[in-house]
Amino acid sequence: MKKLIAVVIALTMLLCFAACSKNNAPADEGKTDLEYVKDKGVLVVGITDFEPMDYQDKNGEWIGFDADVAKLFAESLGVKVEFVEIDWDNKIMELDGKTIDCIWNGMTLTDEVTAAASCSNPYFNNKQVVIVPAKNADSYKTAADCKELNFAVEAGSAGEAVANDNGFKVISVKDQASALMEVKSGTADAAVIDLLMAMAMTGEGTSYADLTYTAGLNDEKYGVAFRTGSDLVDSLNAFFVSNYADIEKVAETYGLTDALIEQK
Amino acid sequence: MTTFSEQFPIVFQALNVGFLQTLKLFFVTLIGALPLGLIISFGSMTKFKPVQWLTRFVVWVVRGTPLMIQLLIIYYFPGLVLHNPVWGGGEDGRFFAACVAFVFNYACYFSEIYRGGIQSIPKGQDEAGLVLGMTRGQIFFRVKLLQMIKRIVPPISNEVITLVKDTSLARIIALQEIIWAGQAFLKGSQGISGAIWPLFFTAVYYLAFTGVLTVLLGKLEKRLEFFR
Repeated sequence: MKKLIAVVIALTMLLCFAACSKNNAPADEGKTDLEYVKDKGVLVVGITDFEPMDYQDKNGEWIGFDADVAKLFAESLGVKVEFVEIDWDNKIMELDGKTIDCIWNGMTLTDEVTAAASCSNPYFNNKQVVIVPAKNADSYKTAADCKELNFAVEAGSAGEAVANDNGFKVISVKDQASALMEVKSGTADAAVIDLLMAMAMTGEGTSYADLTYTAGLNDEKYGVAFRTGSDLVDSLNAFFVSNYADIEKVAETYGLTDALIEQK
Repeated sequence: MTTFSEQFPIVFQALNVGFLQTLKLFFVTLIGALPLGLIISFGSMTKFKPVQWLTRFVVWVVRGTPLMIQLLIIYYFPGLVLHNPVWGGGEDGRFFAACVAFVFNYACYFSEIYRGGIQSIPKGQDEAGLVLGMTRGQIFFRVKLLQMIKRIVPPISNEVITLVKDTSLARIIALQEIIWAGQAFLKGSQGISGAIWPLFFTAVYYLAFTGVLTVLLGKLEKRLEFFR
């Protein structure tokens, strides 16, 4: 009995190893990224739930400025589009592991991203702003005023980089929303998040009515990331230029025209 | 912004969807890991040394590394290193990868519980069985197995309760279980942004579910009491 079981287990394990090594052959050798996506017939877009760039409508359909432009781009390639929610910390792994084909989610073009992936031309302007309780807002109009505050920032975000550049005392939290929660609960004095989110989530009529944004710390630009060396970058840049009128219309839909970067 | 009573139906709906995913992962893990654990426990007890060493090595690796890392490796390794993203990017692929990681991880923990249970049965019973002319298989299935099951119910229950909450680790590969669903309202989802309470409210689901499990497992323990 035991011998038999031992043999069965040994065989099972051998099978496991065999199964692993069988997958070794790259399925897409010698193909460019564009051909790879066209052969698959679907462009997989890595996103997070991020209003107004990528978010779901009542029917669960992904909409938003980025989502709508991504749909147009996929259409121009003649492929379908699939939106996949990812963990933002793992975005480069998702991209290199080919579980997604691009990151298109109001992504700030930081050195970290441009070093690890090939990015499109910038298409959108944003900046990082300081969030403080509204009652203190007048005391913290400039970056220099904020030196004494304890900041909460999203780990790995552009906000964190800017806060460090300014020499702020920072603690890193999971995401921008957690950073707001830290300020609201008083565990941090201030937070650094991007302007888009600050406009949507603070002030009158939001959950963070008692918070507001003050000093702008930098200017930054949004881009789309593809795998390093991907020829989809050129396709998208060309698409930005040729379809700029359509992109303008989408921006108008979401009230983002002012932040759009003209493509020439 | 919306009030709590307006938010509640939307959040409730989203958390239910998330919790369904949590439950699916929970049951698949149990159904897969309970039998697989038994097989692994045989491997770690066999007299055939190479298999025993290999099994114990694997159990050591799986129990000795964080489940979160195992999830990352199982999901991303095929695409990153083998250049063949076997799981795909969609939700089904993520769920399947999470299942594989959880089943294997929990099977290894279960295997050690099984091993303890089996080895706690006095050797005299084996000898008595052999004297009576029973085969080793008969001795295991007819004499030792039920006694073992009775003894391992409390430690297994412990793991099962832990498993309910461990399912939340699967969010690292973006499996949209209930914690993910609750956090979505912090960042903004379905017109609700910056809502803190949904995340904390998920605890109610876990608490209710572990409550049900505690009662059921307690009943199971009672029913097995006649084996002494």
